[in-house]
This record gives sequence, C-alpha cells and structure tokens, in this order.
Amino acid sequence: MAENYQAPAELAKYRNIALGIGGIGVIVWAAGTYFNVEQGLRSWLLGFIFWGGITIGGIGITMLQYLTGGAWGVVIRRFVEAASRVLPVVFIMWLVLAWGTYSHNLYEWSHLPPDDFTMIQRGAYQTPIWWIIRGIIYFVLFGVMVYLLNDWSAKQDRSADHEEAAKWLGKATAFSGPTMVIYVIAITLATVDWVMSLDPHWFSTIWGLLFVAGWALSTFCFSILMFALLGGKKPMDHVLGKRHFHDIGKLILALVMVWAYFNFSQLLIIYSGNIPEETGWYLTRMTTGWFTVGMILVLFHFAFPYLFLLKQDWKKNIKMLASISLFILFMRLVDMFFLISPNPRIATHGESLILSESFSWLDIAGPVAIGGIWLWYYFGQLMKRPLVPVMDPFLEKAIEHGHGH
Amino acid sequence: MEKQLYGLMAEFDTATELVDAARSTRDAGYKRTDAFSPFPIHEIDEALGIKRSILPVLVFFGGITGLLSGVSLQVFVHYIDYPLNIGGRPYLSWLSFVPPSFELTILLAGFTAVFGMLFLNGLPRPYHPVFNVPRFSLATREKFFLLIEAADEKYNYDETKAFLDSLKPQEVFDVEE
Repeated sequence: MAENYQAPAELAKYRNIALGIGGIGVIVWAAGTYFNVEQGLRSWLLGFIFWGGITIGGIGITMLQYLTGGAWGVVIRRFVEAASRVLPVVFIMWLVLAWGTYSHNLYEWSHLPPDDFTMIQRGAYQTPIWWIIRGIIYFVLFGVMVYLLNDWSAKQDRSADHEEAAKWLGKATAFSGPTMVIYVIAITLATVDWVMSLDPHWFSTIWGLLFVAGWALSTFCFSILMFALLGGKKPMDHVLGKRHFHDIGKLILALVMVWAYFNFSQLLIIYSGNIPEETGWYLTRMTTGWFTVGMILVLFHFAFPYLFLLKQDWKKNIKMLASISLFILFMRLVDMFFLISPNPRIATHGESLILSESFSWLDIAGPVAIGGIWLWYYFGQLMKRPLVPVMDPFLEKAIEHGHGH
Repeated sequence: MEKQLYGLMAEFDTATELVDAARSTRDAGYKRTDAFSPFPIHEIDEALGIKRSILPVLVFFGGITGLLSGVSLQVFVHYIDYPLNIGGRPYLSWLSFVPPSFELTILLAGFTAVFGMLFLNGLPRPYHPVFNVPRFSLATREKFFLLIEAADEKYNYDETKAFLDSLKPQEVFDVEE
C-alpha cells in the first residue's frame, strides 16, 4: 500500500497528558477512598461502568460494522478496535471492585441478614465469591472476542492481496453474527451483577439492553471525538468525509432514541404494574433532588440531542457532531450516576441518600482517574496499527478521496 | 409547420458523460431540466442544481401534528370529558399517554412522508411526454438521457438543439407533447 496510514506522532503527547491526569486522579481518589471506602468504591464503579462501557461497546461496534458493512464501518473500525483492546486495563479496574465486593464494602447485599427473602431465593448466586467468578467469566468471554477480532484484523493487514484479505474479512463477519448473541447475554448478566445488584430488592428485565444501547452510544460519541481530534491531520484528513459523519450521526440519533425507548419501556411497565416490589427504585428517583436529575436526563440525554441530530447539515458537520457527541458523553456519565448513586448504601443500613448528600467529589475523581489511564492505554493502542484497515477490499470505496466513488 | 414540443432530449452512453453534460446545462443557465439513468447517480443532484427537497420539514410538522393530536385526544378523553378512575392513578397519567401519542406521531409523519413524496413528485402521473421518444425505454437498461423542457425561460428550439449537440451526445430527440 502506497499510502501511509500510521497515526500522527502527536498522539504520544496526548498519551502523556492522559497518563498525568490519570495518575493524579488515582492518587486523589485513593486518598479520598481511605476516608470513605464505600463512597470511593461507588465512584470507582461509576468510572468503571462509563469507561469500561466504551471498551465493551467497542467490541459490539466492531462486530456490528462487520455485520452491516458500509463505508462508516471501514473508517471507524480501527478506532473501535483500539477501544476494545483497552480490555486488560478495564479488567485491572474491575479488580478494585472485586476487592470491594470480597471485603463487603461495595454491595449492600453482602450485609443483608441471611433470612432476607431475596437472599434465600438467590442462594449462592448472590455471594461475593460467585460475583467474582462470574466477573472473570465475563472478562474471559469479552477477552476471546477482542483477541480473535483484533487478530484477524491484523492478519488482514498483512495479507498479500485482496483475495486473502477478503478471507479474513469473511471470517470476522461469520464470527460476529452468533457472537453478538453471546455478547448481549454477557452484558445483561454482567450489568445485573455490577449495577443492578446495588439495589438487591429490585429487578428489571430490560436492564442489560439499557447498557447495550448506552455503551454503543458512548462508543460512537467517543469515536466521533477522535475523528474530530485526528480528522484535520494526516492520514485521516484523506480518509474522512461528510458521508461518514452523516452515517455515524444517524446511528447516534438512532441510539439516542433507543436509549430513551428502553428507559421509557422500563418506567411505563413499572408505573402501570404499580407493584410495591418494583416501584421503590423509581420512587427514590422521582422524589427529592433525584427527580431533577431524571428530568435533566429526559431533556438533555434525549430531547435536546434528538432535535439537534434531526438536522442533516449538523450531522455532516464534524464540529457540530463532535460538540453534541461530547455533550452526550457527559450525559452518559450523568445517566450512570443516576443509575448507581441513589441505590441503598451500607453506611445507612440500606437507606438511599438524597441527592445533595449522595453527591461526592469522589464521583468526579473516580471517572477522571480511570479516564486518564484508559485514554493513555487507548492512544497507545491506536498508534500500534494503521488508522484504517489497509488491505480491506472495500477500503478504496470507503475512503473519501479514494479512486472508487 | 412546427410541432408543439415538450422539450429536447439528449442520449448519452455513460453516467460520466451525463453528469458532465448536466453540469454544462446548469452552467448554461437552464433550470427546467431532468436526467434519466438506469441506476441512481449520487452526483446528479448537484450537477443539475436540484435543490434539497422541502419534504423533511413537512414530515417534521406532520409528526408534531400527530403528537399534539395524540396528547390532546387523551387529555380530552381521560381528564376533561370522561374522567375514569383506573387503578387509583391520577386522571392525568401522562406516562400512559406516551405510547399512543408516539404512535400517532409516527403515523402522521409516515403519511406525510409517503403522500408528500407523491405530491411533490407530481405522482400519480399516467402520461409523460418523454415516452414519446421510442429510444427512451433504454433509460431503464443502458442509456442515459438529459432533458431540457420547452417551458424553460432560456429555451429556444434552434439554440437549445445546438447547445445539446455541442455536448456530444449520441443523438438529440424532439420530445413531442
């Protein structure tokens, strides 16, 4: 391949900045956690779900673009693959939570009396040791997906001709279909363990899908930010064009709607059912300050981005699209805060805190600490491979200034 | 004796020639033009200077109309005209109003999209003069056609015919009304 698609060297600079911020964040977070272990772990969980979501969403979008095809998939592939390869870091972040679970500092269910009806029903499933074993299984499943997809992608790059490259493409596509099913089931079980069990007496069957859609949305928005960062520089200035932004903008619009649709389905069913064992979760979130957070989510995680993204010109304009993506990413964090923070706490013996008592500066330190280290590793992974799949048979057609049209 | 003409049509062999010819036609100042090809050509909208359709705006307001009618229907029925206690919930249970309002939004937006598209395209239209050119049936197979309507301000039979000839087409046809 005549073209040079290596990532620009400036990334190394961003890498150091990210590591610096992450390092300081970890120290600050650790200091705060020393004085309030439960809050520290909860804030860590917030950061873990937000940033880990971009990694796990990266696996999903890698598979999705193989299954759907299209130019947007070819240009975004290396960015979401790099996000998925941050999995080892995400696993190390998870070990902190595993320690918190094992030492009974994170989940209120580890303090419930043994005669609690829910705990009797759930038996060994709801014990720290099985929480950890299942966690390892999820990471093994995700790890196999990351390894195989990235391995085939690397082999495609080294292919001698397009025929051989097409073989690897076919392999990844055939793998992605059935694996997508396992992926969604794994996310459902994982997020039930990691987030939903914070409130041991509440359950929702659409829970996993909230994260499947939410994490895919996060990953698309994050990739758009990377496009904005690298789009004006070589080599991506030669690759990216309005049609890619338009396509990914449409996907972001769709996912904003899907997110709202899933959330509303959950709310409407619980509201209509009106059964005490289900309504508690929403009762907490529809009274005191939490209602304000909920309304902020309805207006700014759904209504505003939805109306914004209806306009075709703004989806085609990378500046506009990157602005709304950054905004949505921030709202993703607020959404995770809304799902995690109001849940029952150990320190209050199972009571929820009101918003003003619940918000802690650790909720900023945790996500910043994880984010810095996540980005440091991400940029490193992004620099390792060409920014587009150089031997992909559809590359010429997919890039903006290619010879096909 | 001059026949009443709908316009003049040029036949081309390739999509590239058609797009180039369309650009020249637009640059020459012709506005009432059209192009015909066996498959969609992305550049042709820009080449002919076709403006963006107003349809998305119509669909948006169709959707808003659906939303408002859905909300007002339910508020009228459940809150004003015939309040009914359903499971002890408030009469104005707006959460339960969302699905029907959503459906009506989609329905009216969809209707506006389909019927608006037909209307803006001038469909249904059982007769069109371009079919008076026998070779035009090839537009669905392998040939590319560019039409300049007689209704165009710049249209003048001899000048327009000379102009089309200058684009080096396979042939230029008179399209009878």
